[in-house]
Amino acid sequence: MTHLSTSDEGADHGEQTERRWAAVAVAILVLLVVMATFAALYHGAMPQSRVETADPRTLHLGGEFIESNLGSALEPDGTVTVRFIGQQYSFTPSCILVPTDTPVTFRVTSADVVHGFLIDGTNINLMLVPGYISSLGARFETPGERLMPCHEFCSVGHEGMWGRIKIIDKAAFSRMAAERRRLSCVE
Amino acid sequence: MWNSRRLVLAHLWFAFASFGAALPLGEWQMFIRSPLHPWISDPEWYYRSVTAHGTTMAYVFPTLVAMGFGYFVTEQALRRPMVGLRWAWLGFALVVVGTIAAIVPVALGRASVLYTFYPPLIGHPSYYIGIVLVVVGSWVWVALMSINMYRWKRDNPGAPVPFPMFATVAGSYLWAWTAVGAALELLFQIIPVALGLRDTIDAGLARVFFSWTLHAIVYFWLMPAYIAYYTIVPRAIGGRLFSDTMGRIAFILFLVVAMPIGIHHAFEDPQIGSGFKYLHSVVTAVVALPTVLTVFTICASVEIAGRLRGGKGVLGWLAALPWRNPVMLGAALSFVMLGFGGAGGLINMSYQLNATVHNTQWITGHFHLIFAGAIVIMYFVIAYDIWPHLTGRTLDSFGLMRAQLWTWFIGMIVLTFPWHWVGILGMPRRMAFYDYTDPAIAPQALSVTMSVIGGAILVISGVLFFIVLVRGQTTLRTEPAVYRFSVAVRPPRTLPAALNGFGLWLGLMVALTIVNYGFPIAHSLATPGTAVPAVKVGERW
Amino acid sequence: MTRERIVSLRNPWFTRSVGITAAIAIVAAVVGFVWLPLQHPGERFKSVWDAICSAAGLVRNAAPGTQIVRADYPTTRVEIDPQMLSGASAESIGRGATLALRCTMCHGARGLSQADTPNLAGQYPVAIYKELLDFKTGARVSAIMAPLVADLSDADMRDLAAYYAYLPRVTSSGAAAGEAPPIVTSGAPLRSIAPCGACHGEVDSKASAAWLEGQPAVYLRTQLEAFASGARRNDIGEQMRNVARGMTAAEIDAASEFYARAQ
Repeated sequence: MTHLSTSDEGADHGEQTERRWAAVAVAILVLLVVMATFAALYHGAMPQSRVETADPRTLHLGGEFIESNLGSALEPDGTVTVRFIGQQYSFTPSCILVPTDTPVTFRVTSADVVHGFLIDGTNINLMLVPGYISSLGARFETPGERLMPCHEFCSVGHEGMWGRIKIIDKAAFSRMAAERRRLSCVE
Repeated sequence: MWNSRRLVLAHLWFAFASFGAALPLGEWQMFIRSPLHPWISDPEWYYRSVTAHGTTMAYVFPTLVAMGFGYFVTEQALRRPMVGLRWAWLGFALVVVGTIAAIVPVALGRASVLYTFYPPLIGHPSYYIGIVLVVVGSWVWVALMSINMYRWKRDNPGAPVPFPMFATVAGSYLWAWTAVGAALELLFQIIPVALGLRDTIDAGLARVFFSWTLHAIVYFWLMPAYIAYYTIVPRAIGGRLFSDTMGRIAFILFLVVAMPIGIHHAFEDPQIGSGFKYLHSVVTAVVALPTVLTVFTICASVEIAGRLRGGKGVLGWLAALPWRNPVMLGAALSFVMLGFGGAGGLINMSYQLNATVHNTQWITGHFHLIFAGAIVIMYFVIAYDIWPHLTGRTLDSFGLMRAQLWTWFIGMIVLTFPWHWVGILGMPRRMAFYDYTDPAIAPQALSVTMSVIGGAILVISGVLFFIVLVRGQTTLRTEPAVYRFSVAVRPPRTLPAALNGFGLWLGLMVALTIVNYGFPIAHSLATPGTAVPAVKVGERW
Repeated sequence: MTRERIVSLRNPWFTRSVGITAAIAIVAAVVGFVWLPLQHPGERFKSVWDAICSAAGLVRNAAPGTQIVRADYPTTRVEIDPQMLSGASAESIGRGATLALRCTMCHGARGLSQADTPNLAGQYPVAIYKELLDFKTGARVSAIMAPLVADLSDADMRDLAAYYAYLPRVTSSGAAAGEAPPIVTSGAPLRSIAPCGACHGEVDSKASAAWLEGQPAVYLRTQLEAFASGARRNDIGEQMRNVARGMTAAEIDAASEFYARAQ
């Protein structure tokens, strides 16, 4: 591989190896970027497409984040919109109900400081920054209950901020949605 | 010639002392939130400790190592007395005062906001002002690095700037620009609120500013380690630096692309457009390039040493390497951790994969493996290598040094591998306790316990490090030989101007920053109504 | 040696480095600002320019999809700012003292109640102000309080809050309270219950959360049960309802008894 000779010939050989290595390195990195790009295209795994704002001081006074409007809503087109808020130190609703095999859109914001959430065993993961609305599309295949912790330090009660999400059969969800316009699994 | 000896020693002692104080805090945090300890009755103490550990380890310790090592390199590489010694002491004093100003409110529980600040949470103003002083002190160092290099160039027209100095100046410029993001956040957003001059703060904008600093600061931490790879390791094991040019290109690449990529820390944030997230993701891929080049150059340089020592065949040179030499051992262990950490980093940079691990224990594992592992182990190596030149006494506890490096490596692996694993399982970061009785969390208990053991090994390693240094104070006084850096296989006689200065690269760095950050910042500033009420912490009763 | 010019089209280092950097930025920009946004699932952009603006992060609030469901009960109208009501003037406290004469029957002459009504001495001003407003708007239901606050102006409520916040609290001896129950010190993480003190002052205080130590056990228990059942729902964003719903009856008792003792 490398040569000790300080003659020009040896050095040229060394430089050649060096260039080849650099070329391989560049090729690997280009491949990684291309892979990430195509994953974005074919799995639809992309960051939210627009920036939206919401005033954390007045969430409870009007607009889509008032408490009676939080939870899961079945839209006329058959998709589900889930609205919830993060605050020191809980999510509201603290138990989210969603159906299987349905496109779900999360719309979430913070009422005070920076929070975040993830859903165990999925790649659903969002930051909540006060002043802005975070949104994300998702789809759940298997029924079950999962933990949904706040994953960003939000001051001294952060360790107590764990929500839950319950994924139920699509038909059962539709039946419940016929009776109530906003659903959650808070009892 | 050698008049910065006490200056360098002061920097390194204060650096390692702060490291020694913050290290047990990390292990304490690991222990009290593990299944081995009941839930802490006052969670604020946990966050207080995290703030102290993070502030010391992220801001104070590496900054002082970079400064001290930089002053050392300046005199040893340029072979002449350093200009601006008084200013250097002023910079040191600012760092010390800043550290104290920052740590006191943290210790009193008045600034448990973690070292990443997290506005709109607002702690005591002294905490933030202290950090600003640390940064200002380090900017004195940046200026001195630059002045010393340019004076030398003026006196040696056309001659190549010695590679160690070139790399050090690159690191200092990188830091100067990197720190600007957090400085803007602190000076124009957080401190006015902490002082009560304003009641609201734009948390989204603050996160953009902080991302400016947050990623590239890792490369600043990395700089002394990389400089040691290139300029100490080949010499210490009896080899040659494979390529001086490739080394310069690697440092230049760091300078240009390390900074404008920070938004990949904010992939899941709502306040930044998707286009900028993609842009930053692509440039993040580019920053892997200098590391890959470094891996090649250093492996080739080490191979040269192995062959000079009589190693034959495809792998025979590996056996011929001086494995009992702490520098060799430390560099090898550092490379292994860099390899694992780098592979994890490639996952973080991809938007899709990042979503699985973002803000979980995976991230804690990742940056501990890279920084506390690959980088800090090289700080130890640097200390072992240059200490005799600072104290005039030999360090001769080679067995202890090897034990220290091995325990650091093993401890770091045992600490961080389980962290990566529980991160994949979805364990969130920075919580004072977890309910391991819940069936969904119970499987993580064993991994967390392993991390406690890893942390304990690291504390032992830290103690060994101080024993080595203290024992070095009792050996006989000798006049050490002239300090030497690695020599390249073909030392450059002349260099293209582009590789002997920074004008072009600083221009590109600023231009790329404006492209990648200009619009998100300007737009955030121009959007009304995004400032939110500050939430002050630390006011009990 | 002639001085080599760096910024020159004849210098390959300059042309190549600038060229490569620009090429990376342009390709990434075209993909990130045009191609990917146009392919985004669930997003229909009117034009390429529209896609670019969205990807750049221009604020574009979506039109509300479905109709907003409004509550059929009054909810709190109070806007909380953590810094509000700090630094009350002596005049305000004085006016508050006069107004407080009508409160002494239940809340005591110096804000220390003899009955099972809350002690108000040393209470956080934001908490008092918010509850008064909620009694007035009906967000918090009380047959006793409603008529008493009906004629209070906003300034009156601020003055009352300032006065009671100014009064000294019951002195805390600490030891009398005994050891705090686990629900108070640690909460119950997976039921989304943070330690009580994280908001109520022993560890840190959250704006509009009340100071609990020394409050009558009966009062605390009644309020926790009301939050849990939904009989009381004037907490912004259900922050207390979320906590109380998750508490067991034994935990409600333990917390109420502990805070009543802790004075």
